[in-house]
Amino acid sequence: MFKIIIKKLLFIPIASFIVSSLAFLVVNITPGDPVEVIAGGIASEETKNEIRIELGLDKNLFERYFSYLDDLSKGSLGNSFYTKIPVLDSINQYLFDTFELIIMSLIVALILGFIIGSTGAYFRGKLPDKITNVLLSIIQSVPDFFLGLLLIYILFFKLQVVPAPVGRIGLGELPPPEITGGMIIDSILDKNWSLFLSSLKHSILPALTLGIFYSSYFGRTTRNVLGGSLNSKQVEFAKSLGLSKKRIFIYALVDARTPIITYIAILFAGLFGASAIIETVFAWNGIGSWAINKILMLDIPAIQGYILFAGLITLLTYTILDLIVTFIDPRIRKKVL
Amino acid sequence: MKIENKQLNFSNLIITFPILILLFFSFGSFFITFQHDPYITDIANRLLKPSTVHWFGTDEVGFDIFSRTIVAGRIDLFISLSGTLIALTMGLPLGLLASEKSKRAERIMKVLDMFQAFPLLVLAIVIVAMWGNNIRNVIFAIVLINVPRFTRLIRSEALTVREKRYIEVAVTMGASNSRIIFKHLMPNILGSLLAQASITTAHSIVVVAALSFIGIGVVPPEASWGSMIRAGSQYMTTGQWWTSLFPGLAILISVISFNTIAQFILRKYESI
Repeated sequence: MFKIIIKKLLFIPIASFIVSSLAFLVVNITPGDPVEVIAGGIASEETKNEIRIELGLDKNLFERYFSYLDDLSKGSLGNSFYTKIPVLDSINQYLFDTFELIIMSLIVALILGFIIGSTGAYFRGKLPDKITNVLLSIIQSVPDFFLGLLLIYILFFKLQVVPAPVGRIGLGELPPPEITGGMIIDSILDKNWSLFLSSLKHSILPALTLGIFYSSYFGRTTRNVLGGSLNSKQVEFAKSLGLSKKRIFIYALVDARTPIITYIAILFAGLFGASAIIETVFAWNGIGSWAINKILMLDIPAIQGYILFAGLITLLTYTILDLIVTFIDPRIRKKVL
Repeated sequence: MKIENKQLNFSNLIITFPILILLFFSFGSFFITFQHDPYITDIANRLLKPSTVHWFGTDEVGFDIFSRTIVAGRIDLFISLSGTLIALTMGLPLGLLASEKSKRAERIMKVLDMFQAFPLLVLAIVIVAMWGNNIRNVIFAIVLINVPRFTRLIRSEALTVREKRYIEVAVTMGASNSRIIFKHLMPNILGSLLAQASITTAHSIVVVAALSFIGIGVVPPEASWGSMIRAGSQYMTTGQWWTSLFPGLAILISVISFNTIAQFILRKYESI
């Protein structure tokens, strides 16, 4: 058991190195000249050269790579090209806002997906299974940003049950003092309950959008895995023992726990990237919309930092998942050893 | 046996619908003479409701949404399809190479997996933003995020087929490598490969749309579904639903069509 854990943990530094190198490569191997964009079309050759030297773009790829690694080893991701704010500070500021959105969306996705998936699994082959199957296919095919706009139209414009999609809180409201960086947590810590309620209301649309979209993936997994275990020998055995339907369902669920938990982790990692566009739709000041802004401005250190962070979060999520799965599932533990 | 045949015939009939829809979006705009030019704005008639004159209404600058939704199909589908096909042709040799049983092959796969740790959509945005706004770079972004996927699929398919008896027989009979690959391996992985290509195209349509939705890739005046949704997005809060709805539905229908085709291919190959 210890062997597995140590092996998994030893892999992290190697993988982080590969991830950080890939993050550098993706952003720095480009045919275009970022200085052209930063300086604008009418800048003179002189200004361009000044900018080039200031940003370190006059050096070749290898020199830049080593200074990037050097910065990393000192715990720095560099400063933004434009605002000169350290990239790490910005990430720190926005990360929790995105985490709040991801966790709320995940809860919606799990509840919805579980209901749809287990309905299909329980009535497998019958009409409810076919209906939920079509429903899942449709949800899976809608672009999430389009779904977001539809929800804005229905819930905000038509039914008027949610506040306008102007951001995390109303336009006239002041944000709570920054403690963790997450608006909802901070308003709880500040004991500002009206703000807490407002930030929750403003979360409904984006969390519902991502939640509905990702419930399709989770629902399909639940349907397949649970359907498989409901068809298995041990369920047949339990049935012949005369156990109640509820009990049998719980047993099937226990049997299906590993793939279901695996999928929760995959969704968590996937939501980190997927939330970016939804954040821009709903003016949610998270790390995703921050990153898209920076990408459109070609702020290389910021883009690099974001990609690195996203890679590391995925890596960490999967490692934790591996460990959890080996803990809760003796079948996998035996296979690895 | 007879019943099975009947089912297959029925699904043969059903599958013509998605194919017709996709053909319509790809080539329809070449044969239709539109009532309104899709590239001419008409500020006096902006944000008009759907009517008999403008079937899908007009957007904020007075573009006719019906003609643009149809014209956008050919460019969006062209990008998604060609990106997928290039990724497939690159992933095929890579996947076959990586299907040898060696430490090296496993390492290559590990690095490829690492690449998938990044948010792929954001990666596509980075590529198009940094490399410049043109169709070639959008295709390149689609290729880049899909090559690892195809490599992985082809590798795992090839690994299972390699274990089969008939490959063993072919090897013992002295068949050449290329004969084994083209005569024995390829036909057996073709089904899941085509199905995956169809799913990838569906996914690429959404990626292309997401890119133009945030304003890069295919940008106005060129018509694309994503940029049309973008143009209408702010009017959803004020009730002009038609500007975003119709291009969004076009995406939805094409994605469902490609997914249906993928399912059909899989079922067909499984039943053989």
